Amino acid sequence: MREMIPLWLCIPFAGLLLCIAILPLIKPNWWEEHQPHAVAFWSLLFVVPFALMYGVFHASETVLECMVNDYLTFIVLLFGLFCVSGNITMSGDLAGSPRINVGLLALGTILSSWIGTTGASMLMIRPIIKMNAWRKHRRHIIVFFIFLVSNMGGCLTPIGDPPLLMGFMRGVPFFWSLHLTPVLLFNMVLLLFIFYWIDRRAYRTDIAKGLKPDISKPGTEIKIRGAHNMIFIVMIVAAVILSGTLPSLPMFQDAEGKVLGIHILGEVVLSYPAVIEIAIILLAAFLSFKTTDASIRRENHFTWSAIKEVAVLFVGIFITMQPALMLLKASGPKLGITDPFQMFWATGLLSSFLDNTPTYLVFLTTAGSLGFTGGMMTALGSVPIKMLEAISAGAVFMGANTYIGNAPNFMVKSIADENGIRMPSFFGYLIWSFGILTPVFILDTLLFFL
Amino acid sequence: MNREEIKELAEHIYDLDAEVYIHLGSSLGRVFNRDRERCVNELTELLMTRPQGHVVRSELALIANMARTLEDKEERKLCMSEYDRILKEVMSLPTSFAHGDVLDPDLAELNAFNLKERFSDQDHLIVCISWTYGSGGNEVGFRLSDKLKISYYDAEIFEAVLKRLDAEKDSFHDTAGYASEVKDEISQSPASAFAPAKKLTLRQRFREFSRYHGLSKRDAVFFNQSDLLCDMAKKEDFIIMGRCGDAIMTNNKIPHISIYITAPFEQRVLRAVEVNSGLDERKARRLLHHLDRRHSRYYNFYTGRKWGHANNYDLCINTASYGIDGTVDFILKMIDGGRK
Repeated sequence: MREMIPLWLCIPFAGLLLCIAILPLIKPNWWEEHQPHAVAFWSLLFVVPFALMYGVFHASETVLECMVNDYLTFIVLLFGLFCVSGNITMSGDLAGSPRINVGLLALGTILSSWIGTTGASMLMIRPIIKMNAWRKHRRHIIVFFIFLVSNMGGCLTPIGDPPLLMGFMRGVPFFWSLHLTPVLLFNMVLLLFIFYWIDRRAYRTDIAKGLKPDISKPGTEIKIRGAHNMIFIVMIVAAVILSGTLPSLPMFQDAEGKVLGIHILGEVVLSYPAVIEIAIILLAAFLSFKTTDASIRRENHFTWSAIKEVAVLFVGIFITMQPALMLLKASGPKLGITDPFQMFWATGLLSSFLDNTPTYLVFLTTAGSLGFTGGMMTALGSVPIKMLEAISAGAVFMGANTYIGNAPNFMVKSIADENGIRMPSFFGYLIWSFGILTPVFILDTLLFFL
Repeated sequence: MNREEIKELAEHIYDLDAEVYIHLGSSLGRVFNRDRERCVNELTELLMTRPQGHVVRSELALIANMARTLEDKEERKLCMSEYDRILKEVMSLPTSFAHGDVLDPDLAELNAFNLKERFSDQDHLIVCISWTYGSGGNEVGFRLSDKLKISYYDAEIFEAVLKRLDAEKDSFHDTAGYASEVKDEISQSPASAFAPAKKLTLRQRFREFSRYHGLSKRDAVFFNQSDLLCDMAKKEDFIIMGRCGDAIMTNNKIPHISIYITAPFEQRVLRAVEVNSGLDERKARRLLHHLDRRHSRYYNFYTGRKWGHANNYDLCINTASYGIDGTVDFILKMIDGGRK
């Protein structure tokens, strides 16, 4: 596009976010019924003026580009993991207590890097809800779950979070992200410590009210049903890895080095690696359903509403965030951001509201264009290690700042909402993240990115 | 709307939650996760005091969240119409039923000194005695049980819990009682103070983790103790010494009498030295400070109340004013007076 996109085109994005934040509080029933209408309204409010300004063809190309290349793979991955994890159930009489919860959160955080934040979230959320079912005060458990399992834990490998996969596709070695281990460990210890004390307080309040877990039988029995579905989770993780590695193979490229695929419109192409990824994920979901007894889903309170809500809202979010992303692409390199700490905060704050994958790419491109000679050689130029760490950490960690910062956040919230946990509202969650995460990120800046 | 009608409304709310939960067949928990009677009573109080408060509405909204996910259209429709009906009733309640009386109906209902109103024919006489070491509380409890001809429970509860948990006695300290701590203090040799703590092997750790359902030993014992006391309260009259019995009974809406027995510190030191040969005054002072601190921490942790605060009890007695027999007589008079 030749000219700079006007700022007012970002209004539909802000409007949609405000609807997500406010309407569930003031008109919950209306919001539940009319989510698709609100999404359509705000999307059209962006698409129509955009088409009038830049032409119908360009507008269609922009919408299709984000739907085909970003939204489709995003929602299919979420759908696949949602289906497969819904077919695994854990039953037993392990009682949710502060130390058990700390252990589960730590396990989930570590797991996130190896099966993805979405995979770990979907796999762990139900057992955590189940173990804490005897308690009344539990929303903080889910909030910290979103902080650690749905976001931060994904920083160690490209499987963990999509921005890192994008970096891997641009020449960052697969195991390079392990450089972030000290930052992750620091954040994990700090957050788990804070969590322990908050949970202990809530646990005491619950006990003082006379709530108690059923531990009348001596000994704990833990049974996992549908464990064979772990194969399908591995299958989905493999599909994600393939989507990152196949595009660089010559057989998937044309003579100019462009990735081959199904042509949709203009420059919009659904690449063959993406088709393979989608096919594998859908096959895994299908096989999971075919091979798992329906009673497991019933026991897991498996319903389609959580994925439906995320699918609907994120169509609007992906479409309406386009002008903001275009603005960022155009003005990112001119922002004068040259230090790692600036990269950490800029990538992070924008990733809190925008899709963290393009945000990561914008700042990686900016860093690559700054003319550094040492550091990591990527397809976008040399990037100093500290700066790459800052961009990666910012994109992954700060997705935890809002419900829309990372794909699993909203999903986890919806599942918790459906199972008797009163989750904070959009703004309520912002208070949690501002109060707890901001000090942690300031410490990260002082210790690792200055 | 009178109390009975509000109670009926609370019952409808509870039943709706139960119905939704049954239809879902889920095992992930529900909104009201305790027994019917207790939840209904709490809801009734909530509706009586703050009918427009956000709490009841939020609880209802959570039930509706779950109801909306019911797959069977008929079941969903039935549950949602019941939800709408209940919501309308809740919203139509006046904002306050306060009448200016300081009486807390919840507390008064449990106050055994209102015996005429408190105990029904089906209720057993349960006396919960909290006491400071050296005040003669255990003697009072024991003699009282003798006079009332009812059971007396102290360390016996702990033994029963160990049996339930299938645990070895050596691996435990009865943190809710005084006996083991006092014994330790008296028999403590300088060498034992520096003895290294017993280390557990990985296998033993796993066994403990499984045995206590992932909880700490202390929590597992407390929860079992609570269960046991509630079960016993259905079967017999008894006196329970300490063990947060008063809070457990209150939380489970079991009528009881709660008594706190203490005496001035100097008096307690004298008695501690008198009844424990081998305990000198210096040791006794240290022991009492230590026991008070530990018991206070234990009680505060599990009940959210402050140990020894008069607000928590029906009766607080200074045994230095009455002596042990006098205290027993005093309590007996109160109980008999209430029963007449």
